[in-house]
Amino acid sequence: MHGFAVFLGKEMREIVSTWRIWVLPLLMVFIGVTSPVIALITPDLLSSLATSSGQSGLVIQIPDPVTADAYLQFTKNATQIVLIAVIISVAGMIAAERRQGTAALVLTKPVSRTGMVVAKVLSNWVLLLGATVAGTLLCVGVTALVFDATLITEFASAAALWFALAALFVALMALLSVAIGSQGGAAGAGVALYLVLSILSAWGPARAYSPAGLLGAGDRIIAGQTVDVLWPTLSAVALAVLAVAAASWLFERQEL
Amino acid sequence: MTSAIELIALTKVYGDTRALDGATLTVPAGAVYGFLGPNGAGKTTTLRILAGLARPTSGEARVFGRDAVKATTAVRADIGFLPDVPGYYHWMTADGFLRFAGRLFGVDGPVLEQRVASLLDLSGLKGVTTKIGGYSRGMKQRLGVAQALISAPKLLMLDEPTSALDPMGRKDVLDMISALRGRTTVFFSTHILSDVERVCDTVAVLHDGRVVREAPIADLKHSGAATRVLVEIADRPAEVASLLAEEPWTGECVREGRTITCAIEDVESARRRIPQVVAGLEASLVRVEELEPTLEDVFVELVGGDA
Repeated sequence: MHGFAVFLGKEMREIVSTWRIWVLPLLMVFIGVTSPVIALITPDLLSSLATSSGQSGLVIQIPDPVTADAYLQFTKNATQIVLIAVIISVAGMIAAERRQGTAALVLTKPVSRTGMVVAKVLSNWVLLLGATVAGTLLCVGVTALVFDATLITEFASAAALWFALAALFVALMALLSVAIGSQGGAAGAGVALYLVLSILSAWGPARAYSPAGLLGAGDRIIAGQTVDVLWPTLSAVALAVLAVAAASWLFERQEL
Repeated sequence: MTSAIELIALTKVYGDTRALDGATLTVPAGAVYGFLGPNGAGKTTTLRILAGLARPTSGEARVFGRDAVKATTAVRADIGFLPDVPGYYHWMTADGFLRFAGRLFGVDGPVLEQRVASLLDLSGLKGVTTKIGGYSRGMKQRLGVAQALISAPKLLMLDEPTSALDPMGRKDVLDMISALRGRTTVFFSTHILSDVERVCDTVAVLHDGRVVREAPIADLKHSGAATRVLVEIADRPAEVASLLAEEPWTGECVREGRTITCAIEDVESARRRIPQVVAGLEASLVRVEELEPTLEDVFVELVGGDA
């Protein structure tokens, strides 16, 4: 337990001492600031696009942007861009330690392999949570300036569901990183898994009872629909715990 | 007294390759023990099993009486380990890494600070503020020895600790190892014979995954390889060399100018007959010197042409 706490402290220091502190938080800050602005200017952009293309008879009718559009833009960017960045950036969490030889040096000291896996996942969850909170607050602030300060509770729920989905992928990447053993391979498998989940989210039973239901649930909440996210959330938590347990079990059996 | 390390018929198979083939040895507590062998003999595999990084196919590896495979946490608490190519977090500094390593062992506070200062000094990294990513291989190796010592381990295991070092770096590391004699058990693998001769009191020679010889270094040098005798004469060297080669107590004789070196199987006969042979030819004897076999002689004899 002592070794675990020390290793977790190292992971947190590593986040603030390397590129990791910049990538995810900056992406979330970026989409937090730009999503409301993009939502605001999108109708004008499309109108000017139609005019500049010389299609004089073309009429594009777009309703005036509203607060929900800003938040939907944020969730779209978070799901399509940031989630892929999360998958790629955490793909080497164990594989890189093995490749660089740091795992062999650290794991001959009193810290367990399970401790290493759990510390890696926890530290990434903390980074993800901080980035999500920062991006969400900025988006609420900019949206309030550009539109108004409504739908905050709905948007917070959507952001929380996105965090649950991203946290699940961090756990899944721990397993893939251990199982595949290379950062590139794990990243590729992670993106493939994301695509599978996206396809499953279009199928009713999967959307109702599996983590696939977390995809798009936030959008429906922002749009004012009633969404039951209990089973998708519980299944995501269960799958994350299983993934971390499987990663630890597998790592304990590997030779370094 | 419990042995520091005990290998019992340790075997490790990778596919069709037997990296270890029933290796058996005992390292007494307090020894500075050299683990000698040519490249590919199985030294690193043995150390990786002892450190809990790999599992044997069969056999046992025990550290202070505990199974190195099953009691991994308890074993790790007692050992300091330096792998052959140590990997570091490049964003850390040397003192930061030593503090991190110390805290993993539960060392903290003034004791940790005192050890960090002392080990930085010992490894020649005091005052180096560059991050580890910018270190030379030699600096990394010296930091590796330092981090292995941070917990004041009962057993220090070093895999080829001097292979990446320049002569001064080698001397520093070997001096560090010598200074630990009597305080800690040191088990280090190497293929550099002079390092073993310089600091070890006991040595095991590993060849093709088997321990082919395990003995105190003095005993090892007096066994196996033949003693040699050097004869220097003032004249008629070719005839003397020819006659010496025909004597029943000699092995191969090599002449270089007026110096003849013969392997001998019976020292007493050599002492008695050499002056007689030289006098019989009415040649002038300048000197006769018995040459002890070097560790290299013994090593080459044990591992054949694979060294």
